[in-house]
Amino acid sequence: MPDNWTFVAAAYGLAALVFGGYWLRLGRIDRELAAVRTER
Amino acid sequence: MTTLLGWLAGLGLVAGLVMGFGVAPREVTQGNVQRIMYLHVPAVWVAYLTFTVGFAASIAYLAGRRPGADRLAHAACEVGTVFLGVNIATGAIWGKPTWGTWWTWDARLTSVAVVFVMFLAYLLLRGAIEDRERGARYGAVLSIVAALNIPLVHFSVYWWRTLHQPPSLLKPGSSTMPRVILTALLVNFAAQALLGAYFVARRARLLAAEEEAIA
Amino acid sequence: MTYARRALTVAWKDLVVERRSKETLNALLFFSLALLFVFQFALGPDRERLAAVLPGLLWLGFILSGVLGLGRAFLVERENDCWEALLLTPGDKSAIYLGKLAGSLVLMAVVETLVLALFVLFFNVDLGPALPGLALVIGLGTVAIAAVGTLFAAMTAQVRARELLFPVLLLPVLVPVLLGTVKATEALLLGEPLASVAHWLKLLVAADVVYLAIGLLTFDFILEG
Repeated sequence: MPDNWTFVAAAYGLAALVFGGYWLRLGRIDRELAAVRTER
Repeated sequence: MTTLLGWLAGLGLVAGLVMGFGVAPREVTQGNVQRIMYLHVPAVWVAYLTFTVGFAASIAYLAGRRPGADRLAHAACEVGTVFLGVNIATGAIWGKPTWGTWWTWDARLTSVAVVFVMFLAYLLLRGAIEDRERGARYGAVLSIVAALNIPLVHFSVYWWRTLHQPPSLLKPGSSTMPRVILTALLVNFAAQALLGAYFVARRARLLAAEEEAIA
Repeated sequence: MTYARRALTVAWKDLVVERRSKETLNALLFFSLALLFVFQFALGPDRERLAAVLPGLLWLGFILSGVLGLGRAFLVERENDCWEALLLTPGDKSAIYLGKLAGSLVLMAVVETLVLALFVLFFNVDLGPALPGLALVIGLGTVAIAAVGTLFAAMTAQVRARELLFPVLLLPVLVPVLLGTVKATEALLLGEPLASVAHWLKLLVAADVVYLAIGLLTFDFILEG
């Protein structure tokens, strides 16, 4: 059976994108809220 | 506390990658593409774990009306959906070289897809309700319905696929799993569970901050 | 007013309103007719393919009518500013849930009977001995659809994008029920005995119990505001 490393890379890459993207989204919300707080 | 979780998660993920690529051997039947399993399988375990947390938190909210319970439920359901999405996507990527198709209506994939859509609907509902208190109440009821529906989904789909039909060819993770592969799976599960816990904790805190900002 | 009396009052009120205006009933019937025509255009000449997809088509008709009808379950209250009246009802609000549920069940039963009759007529289906079993399956499935639908209709009644959100909430949850009813209907129409679909019946009964229990227990929380 061929090893299909491209698929393995694609899977881990996609997971990294999704988890990383979610982590970045949390960071963005955090920054927006901090900005609102300092405005007050 | 949350930051500590984050660091532990990071460490765990590194350990998971080491186990998945360094320690675990090349699988006999499938070849190296099987390594996707170390990503794919723990993701659904973590997802269902967080949905259970969301279910419990929802009941707690309806019983005691503590906003913290609602924030936990909301965060848990959101994070669970993310992990389930990763599970479905990695499952499709694994399926293409293995089964020759991105998607197949087998029992596991179908039921996970239904659960995914159910909790996507939960997120849509929460997003559509501006009033915090009403959103918490309605969200709690919906997540209870969704969680209790999961066994119904699983049984119905399983019976649909297995009765009057021969079992599907390749079953990922056979019952006689080599010890080292099982260990690698568990390490990755622990890593992803830590990541999930970190996400939930952080998301819940942000929800609290959002409420303060609106107030 | 006793609990049962309150539930019956709500159901009776809905049915009387419906009997006078026939709004929902008309919409559902003409919608079902449209489905019938489209299916005929798509599959009419191919008898075999039609027979194979008939159970699915039947339940597609039922569920789409259900979504249409149940989505309007609280329309009357909403449009006539009676929502607050619902909120102020004394006592256990689950009586309202049961009343709304009963009204919806009657409406759906009427539509389903008519749709089934039209299917039999236009697609030349021989129901015969399958009818009692079929009635049971349709009954169990409809209860599940209405049980969840009534709850979600109340939930989305006051939400901005309610027409969009209601089917989005309802349909994924109902997948197991639809699976069970379609497979059971398929088996029964092929002449298999009721015993052969026992597992599907058990699933439907379990779904009915779970959904009704959740509806009864949580409706009060929905009608708080």
